[in-house]
Amino acid sequence: MISKLKKTVIYWLLLAPLVIVILFPFAVMFVTAVRPREELFVYPPRWTFSQFRWDNFVDMWVKTNFGGALLNSLYVSVSATVLALLFSIPAAYALSRYRFPGKGLYRNFLLMTQMMSPIVLVLGLFRLMVAFGLVNNLNSLVITYAAFNMAFTIWMLQSYFNTIPRELEEAAWMDGASHYFSLVKIFLPLAVPAMVVTAIFTFINSWNEFVLALTMIRSNDDFTLPVMIFSQVAGRYQIEWHHVMAATVLATVPVAIVFSWLQRYLIRGMALGAVK
Amino acid sequence: MASVAIRGVEKRFGAAKIIRGVDLDINDHEFVVLVGPSGCGKSTLLRMIAGLETISSGTITIGDRLINDVAPQDRDIAMVFQSYALYPHMSVHDNIGFSLKLRKKSKAEIESSVMEAATILNLQDYLQRSPRQLSGGQRQRVAMGRALVRNAQVFLYDEPLSNLDAKLRVTMRTEIKALHQRLQTTSVYVTHDQIEAMTMADRIVVMNAGRVEQIGTPLELYDTPANLFVADFIGSPSMNFIPGVFERDGDKVVVVGRDGTRLPAPATTRATHSQNVVLGIRPEHLGLRSDGEGAAAVVEVVEPTGPNIEVFASLAGIRTCSILSQRHPFQPGQQIWLGAEMDQMHLFDAASGVRL
Repeated sequence: MISKLKKTVIYWLLLAPLVIVILFPFAVMFVTAVRPREELFVYPPRWTFSQFRWDNFVDMWVKTNFGGALLNSLYVSVSATVLALLFSIPAAYALSRYRFPGKGLYRNFLLMTQMMSPIVLVLGLFRLMVAFGLVNNLNSLVITYAAFNMAFTIWMLQSYFNTIPRELEEAAWMDGASHYFSLVKIFLPLAVPAMVVTAIFTFINSWNEFVLALTMIRSNDDFTLPVMIFSQVAGRYQIEWHHVMAATVLATVPVAIVFSWLQRYLIRGMALGAVK
Repeated sequence: MASVAIRGVEKRFGAAKIIRGVDLDINDHEFVVLVGPSGCGKSTLLRMIAGLETISSGTITIGDRLINDVAPQDRDIAMVFQSYALYPHMSVHDNIGFSLKLRKKSKAEIESSVMEAATILNLQDYLQRSPRQLSGGQRQRVAMGRALVRNAQVFLYDEPLSNLDAKLRVTMRTEIKALHQRLQTTSVYVTHDQIEAMTMADRIVVMNAGRVEQIGTPLELYDTPANLFVADFIGSPSMNFIPGVFERDGDKVVVVGRDGTRLPAPATTRATHSQNVVLGIRPEHLGLRSDGEGAAAVVEVVEPTGPNIEVFASLAGIRTCSILSQRHPFQPGQQIWLGAEMDQMHLFDAASGVRL
């Protein structure tokens, strides 16, 4: 028998490389973001710095129009998430509850769309958005993000919906509830955990998406955060690395907030026992 | 409360027929049990009454209303599911009161109805709990309560006791029967357990492969099963069947077993000489005879059950079971003599299984 302490140490040692790989970029990002400009390129590189500069964030915010990009990103990610859920819930419900011709084909089609990278479709999507007159319009991103995430959300929701016993809805019908009412009062409350998980995934995917945003959006005012940060690096004579890093740190904050806020629902939802 | 009339009802899934033309009348206040092996269509028939399955052909009427195309929520039927199907995110109180809330009853009305149901079912102390905090038996009672507050025309039960342990099942069985005697609501109850059917039903419908095999009171089914299937299904341990050839020898009629054993048979006019038949005798009717009388049998296994012993013996080449109330110290291999009264023997046609 290995003692508990020993086990803990072994597990931590095994996990340590992974933790380092994950945390190292964050550490670099953070110490670069808060050090004075003149200490950016010292040789040999140091973790320490002479002064903790919160001002970097303030300067960056003003100089880079960070607020605008943040709002753009929030608008795009939240709208895409809502849109994806709005369409996937009925689709997943139908896949889970009804028999219809072509059901297997449709499921396979959804899976196939996941095998294609958006990059190979970027040209076609651009031309489509030109045709819709949506180039340089944030709604083009809302639509494409929602569409690209929908396959995953439908698939995910459907497999969760399958675990919600049909009898619960049938019981509600027998109690006198209409289909719509039983869906809203009985079914959806039980599907909250799945909806939260898919919402988190869609939000993070949309938040981090870069290639489509770079293609569709032209004006600085409509940049989302990844494109805005990229624009601080690409095609410049002088790259303000401390600003870039400050922006990157701030860009990770909303994702962290969303995740930590929604994960409570996740755990609470998981604890709901349905039928015996 | 109302009667239910089922006429020529069929259920098809593509080419497969699940229900094959069922006719059944359920009287007002009656407690009818649908019983049969799994896959016989009893649950499907119940769900068709409930409106949860469509009716491929035939009609179902409740009272004088044809309900073929009426949505389940408008049929005024209450149903207790096998899994109870309690709403996990609602308290016991809200589970029971859900249907009343849907009907836009006043708060005071809901409160009094829920309390009344809770009192009947002994659930007063659990009203604020959520279903997952309840034991199996309590959940079952909540499911009953949900049906009870409805005051529906018909109660449907879909194997409501099969998730409970054996002891609780017996208790709940009695409770449901007592409740029905009190409320007198027309009830249709589905089970695969023939003892449940025997003990609870006013009338039993035995189903097999989508067909009704026999409809009758529990004792009718037990005393005069219409065919081999019903004879085999009703009664535990099940009836002994001895295949043989029917022979008329003047006044005497006998069944000659495969090994040549000649067994006395009930004098029926419907069997013809040298017809292949099956002689059926319930274990409780196959009693011990003094040496030389009845038929010789060789003891194989003796199982004491407490009040009785069950003796498994080889009779006419067939392993038969007899239930004896006296604790005979039989040994395996010992020869005994077994027999039954004429009126307690059943004769069936070997080919069709029909009672002769």
